Amino acid sequence: MSLLPGLTDSNQATDLFVDANEVHKLVLKEETEWKVEIPSSSKLTITIRSGIAEIFGTELANDVEYTFSNWKISLSAVENVILEWKCPDIPNKDLMIEPNTTSKYVYNLHFGLEKMRNSSFNGPRILVVGNANSGKTTLCRTLCSYAIKFKSYQPLFINLNPHEGIFSPPGCLTATPISDILDVQSQTWGQSMTSGATELHSKQPIVKNFGLENISENRSLYWDNMNQLSNAVNERLQNDVIVQRSGCILNTPSLSDLDEEFNELVTIIDRFKVNIVVVLAEQDEFTLFEKVKETLRPYIGDFLIRLPKLSGRFEADDAYKRSLQRTAIKEYFYGTPKTILSPYASGADFEEITVWKPINMVEAQGTTSTSNPLQLLPVTVDASTLQHALVAISYADRKSSSSEVQKASILGFGLITEVNEKKRKIRILLPVPGRLPNKAMILTSYRYLE
Amino acid sequence: MDKETEIIVKDFTSVLDELTFNSRPIITTLTKIAEENISCAQYFVDALESRIEKCMPSQKLYAFYALDSICKNAGSPYTIYFSRNLFSLYRKTYLLVDNVTRTKLINMFKTWMTPNETTGGSLPLFERGALERIEQFLIKASALHQKNFQSMLPTPTVPLLLREIDKLAGLTNERLRDQPNDQKLQTKLMVLSQLKQELQRGKLSLDALKQVQLQLTEVFAQDQQVLQERVRYQQFQQEQQLKQRERSTTTSSLEPTETPMPLGTNNSPSPLFNGSVSSLFGNVSRIVTPEDFAEMEKASKLTSIQTLFHSLNGAGLIFTPPKESIVTLFDKIDSTNKLNSKKAKNNNLPSISFLQDVVSNCKAYFATANVNILNTPTLQLSQQNIVNDNPVVTKSLIHLLYRNKPNKCSTCGKRFGNSIEERKLQTAHLDWHFRINKRIKGSSTTNAQTNAMTSQKNIQSRNWYLHDSQWVKFNDDEIVSTQNTFNENPKQTIADVDQQKYASGSNGSSTATNIQMSNFEDMLSLNKNDANNSTSETADLSKKYVIVPESTEDMTFQCPVCKDSVTSVYDEELGEWIWKNTVIINGKKFHSTCYYETIKNNSSL
Repeated sequence: MSLLPGLTDSNQATDLFVDANEVHKLVLKEETEWKVEIPSSSKLTITIRSGIAEIFGTELANDVEYTFSNWKISLSAVENVILEWKCPDIPNKDLMIEPNTTSKYVYNLHFGLEKMRNSSFNGPRILVVGNANSGKTTLCRTLCSYAIKFKSYQPLFINLNPHEGIFSPPGCLTATPISDILDVQSQTWGQSMTSGATELHSKQPIVKNFGLENISENRSLYWDNMNQLSNAVNERLQNDVIVQRSGCILNTPSLSDLDEEFNELVTIIDRFKVNIVVVLAEQDEFTLFEKVKETLRPYIGDFLIRLPKLSGRFEADDAYKRSLQRTAIKEYFYGTPKTILSPYASGADFEEITVWKPINMVEAQGTTSTSNPLQLLPVTVDASTLQHALVAISYADRKSSSSEVQKASILGFGLITEVNEKKRKIRILLPVPGRLPNKAMILTSYRYLE
Repeated sequence: MDKETEIIVKDFTSVLDELTFNSRPIITTLTKIAEENISCAQYFVDALESRIEKCMPSQKLYAFYALDSICKNAGSPYTIYFSRNLFSLYRKTYLLVDNVTRTKLINMFKTWMTPNETTGGSLPLFERGALERIEQFLIKASALHQKNFQSMLPTPTVPLLLREIDKLAGLTNERLRDQPNDQKLQTKLMVLSQLKQELQRGKLSLDALKQVQLQLTEVFAQDQQVLQERVRYQQFQQEQQLKQRERSTTTSSLEPTETPMPLGTNNSPSPLFNGSVSSLFGNVSRIVTPEDFAEMEKASKLTSIQTLFHSLNGAGLIFTPPKESIVTLFDKIDSTNKLNSKKAKNNNLPSISFLQDVVSNCKAYFATANVNILNTPTLQLSQQNIVNDNPVVTKSLIHLLYRNKPNKCSTCGKRFGNSIEERKLQTAHLDWHFRINKRIKGSSTTNAQTNAMTSQKNIQSRNWYLHDSQWVKFNDDEIVSTQNTFNENPKQTIADVDQQKYASGSNGSSTATNIQMSNFEDMLSLNKNDANNSTSETADLSKKYVIVPESTEDMTFQCPVCKDSVTSVYDEELGEWIWKNTVIINGKKFHSTCYYETIKNNSSL
């Protein structure tokens, strides 16, 4: 018999070359999680083909391609999940797939809170505390996500950790009602109203600018900011029935950033009328837990719960924290890869701007005898101090006094991209088109360079 | 190669050379040697491959049997080594041998496709790629074979045809035994006997005979297929019943069906040596058709669906379990799924993941039917309750977060329930996605072509943060409400930059006002105090503008005072479409100069 036509060896099938864009298939068993650290400057795309998967409590849509970059994520399989992923820089072997050991506690906690929301108009106000890298933000994010899933609650997320920019650049204390699904691809949890039209409903945060990096650099200023925030939050809760009923979820700075006596926790509990405290601590940190418990018992009674550190958490070193802060600043001005924003570059003369800065007590130690740590110091406009600096623009008029500026609300942020000392002009990126508002500005410790 | 290895390999080769007929002992010996000397695997593989390559066509099959036996018994690394050249070996052999041998080769191939114990019971014997190529090859070859079939038939003679008719009649009788009431079969028998009489008269031409022969072969093939299918179906049912019995003893919970379990997993490799072919596919020397493979795949899918069903059944989730209720489920899905109605329903089973979804949704529905969060004491927050396993949470409440709302938004993953209200919400939500995407796209395209007067406008309107006094009164329903389309919403709160008067903390009224409006009113009051400055006033007034709302269809309006029509223009500096010299008062658009004029006249009256 002659050769059958169409049967000649074609070489296509043998050319199974390894392609950078190769799509890998991954099957995750129920109650496991895939922990991925995406190398910086790389991106990971994930498409869920079947099953239920969530990242920090936010469920992913199926057959939609999600893109993640510059982030560490735990993708948790609620049911058996089949997914496809693609990332040239992650080898398709030794993937970190671990059982999710703490999800059951989070579910228990969530339904406990749900019961409280059901039984009272005054929702639970829960404070999450723990050491660095214990999963505080992860827990808060998950609890917020779960809270909006069954009923249309709007829990108020309050971020008291200035290291993290959540719906804002870093260096802020914020409160944000979580009124709709979070952006699962975003380190900053999603976009705020300052981003204009976004793919998901944006959120409306209130922002208090601390501006320094560490709380220790000016404790008085931090606590004053927190006071301002709590005043606004309490007023909002009185006005907003849904938020009131949904309750508050508060994220705190790492315990090591707070005072050793935990008096500062007591202050937070008092200011925000907290009624539940969750401590993330391992068994071997029992003394820590006991100490927190002893201190706080008079204020919240038995509503103090210890959970082990979350299995989905990541060790975050300084470099990683900084890269997250960079991303937060970048998102504020330039948006996300899916919603690209073009910030508005505006020019101003040196004479047209007034910049203040908070006192950094650590640097100022011994040099100046400042009676009032809340006082803002005037900043001389020059390249060395302002180039690439992130500045907060306050609602206070440019000519306002230091104390007026310090008490004023925050209009937004600007990024000084250029300081031309010869022409005595600056260029500043603004999120909103138009001239630079005629307002007082406050210099933050954060710099951003393309 | 060291000496010892050399001896073993020589031994193997000499045994192999004796394999000139289908001998079970020789094959067993070869398998044993292979099993015991894994270290020489590569050499054995080479030897066997060259044997298959070089021996007489009639003996190639036996060498393949040896290969088959070694792989099935010894497994890896032989399976891996043989996978490399398997396709070309198989193809060459297939092309050289006669039809009977081909059928045997095909039957052997079929056993490769079923998951094998040596590979852990979940994977086919050889690498999938190699097997797929063989399968493709066979499908093409069999399609081609049918074309050539006609020419390969022997010249028809009357006795030959008579014999065929007898065979066919036998087959039909067999079927009739199963379905005694089948009218068609009875007619068929009658036709056959008539044909027989006709042939015996011996008055037909060669052409006519040929035609009769062709038709007979066709009918014969069809009949055989029907019989085969019946056999397969019976086996399949038996298997299912067996499984069901297993399941019912162990009340297992929902088990995932990771890999489809193909038919005949407990087929041992040994039937190959019977000389005849596994009874599963009938002992017919007919070439396999593409449909056969499709059938196999379908059957394997069906198996996994059945497994799913039975595991659910075991968990007591299906309340009235008639024997074939999964089939009823298919039918229901089928009838709602109009797409499938055209084709035969059996060929169009919904995907397994879809079915799993349906079933899991039902499960979630039942699991949450009778829970009441308020009346569950174990939900009271306490260290104990949080840290202990809580079956109420893990078994039922957890579904409230997921499948209790079974309709997942395909864009963002947000879930919606089945109630009318939830359905409405979902529709509104989808609308919102649609609009916002249009808006985002619109803004990016108009960036490129700014002046063209299109309905797409640059709407990248970003905002500042709200002033504290605005934020405390803000309600997020303004953002998430899908009832009133945003921007038609007259009360959209935007940061009011001029609110520094509240900076010192006084909480004056902070009704949502937009910048232009408040400016205008300021100016109005200012002008009342200072009515002389009328020229500069007018100039200032005519500078007033209104940004065209996104929702606006009509880019022009008529000023109710002067009846002039105002057309929007694009403002480069703002990056927005605006109506110049315009104000909106109580939802009506006016020329700001006209409006001011009227107000002034009225107040002076």
